[in-house]
Amino acid sequence: MVTDEQELIQRLARGDRSAFRELVETHKKKIYFLALDMVGNPADAEDVSQEVFLRVFRSFKTFKQDARLGAWIYRITYNASIDHLRKRAVTPEPMADEALEAGFQSHAQIAEPQASLDPAVAAERGLLRDRIEKALRNVSPREKAVFLLRHYEDLSLKEIAESLELTVGSVKSYLFRAVRKLRTELVPCRTDMNPEASHD
Amino acid sequence: MIDCEEYRERMIEALYGELGEDDKASFDAHLGSCASCAAEFKAMTATLALLDKRERPDPGPAFWDGYWDRLSKRLDKEISPAPSGRPARERLSAIFNVFPKWAYPLAGAAALVVVGILIGRTVLSRPAPPLQKAQQPPALTAPGVQQASAPVLRARNYIDRSKLIILALVNYDPESQDAYGLDLPRQKQLSRELVNEASGLKNDLKDPAQKRLRELVSDLETILIQIANLESANDLSAVEFVKQGAESRGIMFKINLAEMGPDGKGGRRAPQVKPSII
Repeated sequence: MVTDEQELIQRLARGDRSAFRELVETHKKKIYFLALDMVGNPADAEDVSQEVFLRVFRSFKTFKQDARLGAWIYRITYNASIDHLRKRAVTPEPMADEALEAGFQSHAQIAEPQASLDPAVAAERGLLRDRIEKALRNVSPREKAVFLLRHYEDLSLKEIAESLELTVGSVKSYLFRAVRKLRTELVPCRTDMNPEASHD
Repeated sequence: MIDCEEYRERMIEALYGELGEDDKASFDAHLGSCASCAAEFKAMTATLALLDKRERPDPGPAFWDGYWDRLSKRLDKEISPAPSGRPARERLSAIFNVFPKWAYPLAGAAALVVVGILIGRTVLSRPAPPLQKAQQPPALTAPGVQQASAPVLRARNYIDRSKLIILALVNYDPESQDAYGLDLPRQKQLSRELVNEASGLKNDLKDPAQKRLRELVSDLETILIQIANLESANDLSAVEFVKQGAESRGIMFKINLAEMGPDGKGGRRAPQVKPSII
């Protein structure tokens, strides 16, 4: 039985442009957000995410058809992000401030418009956001990618290993190091800003 | 005896609910009896809960609606033949696109070799003033001497083998080459062997005239240690670090100089004469 993904892969292998569009529509948000987390600002994230799809289009003939398409695309995203960071050769700026200045709507504003109007809540969220982004900037790109794929993209350890061409043991190790660093960075947040955590 | 390290290895799986039933029962039992692991697990759980609150700015519906159109334009630019009235930059780019991507680093390396030869000839073949000629640094004024000493021969061999490994990595382009094409395990093995040889070789290159050769062996050793410690050819930042290390040390240039210089393949061996102090 041919699955939807296998059928899509076959159409992509034939150079079917409508299949490519399907692929883009299916994966664009995940790829954009992963790129955003890796490179740190929306303009670069769009550029990197489009570069990812162009690489997919250019090099689809190298895709091993028994592999998972999603894993392959995540790998390309990681590589494209690293290439971008290397070219830029500077530490990414905090993304959220730039995004907000550019007039983007945050998930929070969409989900909880009432809360976002309260200046105290907004300030607290802003502080939390800044600390989390700062903490994430202090983990290495590899640790960060592993953490993002596990925590925000909900990939299993095995899927992450496949995506980043690592062993499951290495993935566990990178993830453990990432969470440990984040824990250290976020200790003040857990106690100052999340009182229930300190009462556990 | 309870091994905390073993349980900490399982902590990540426990945090993300990836432990099997038996492992989870064993893990929970350990947490019940080990305050240190329990505290760490609790702190990590709290950290992840905090990270759940993170919000990523969504660019909004207009951005997503236009995403395909913007991508499509870039795609069209790539796949459609450029019109004859296209800008010079695009025409130039089209000309260069005739060659495969891997050809550029290779051409770059070849250009480096040529530049190295030219500079080497200019610097090393400059005739010395008559008064200094007798005391000229040995390698530059020892025509006709064809046999190199044993350490120098070993150094040449060392440099040749190192060069092959470093060139393979410098020319490795992860976008156009399969990581398996690099055969990293083999390169790492060879690097380790060379690193093991390096200290003995450096000790044998005692002659002051061999100072440059000794320094080159030392530089190569540093790069080879980095290669031997690479985890994966796909660890692009690590590969790039090694490449930059080789570049910043001018490794290929030094190799080229060594190959045609006093102790190199140019065949002019350094006689055992003290260098001039003039």
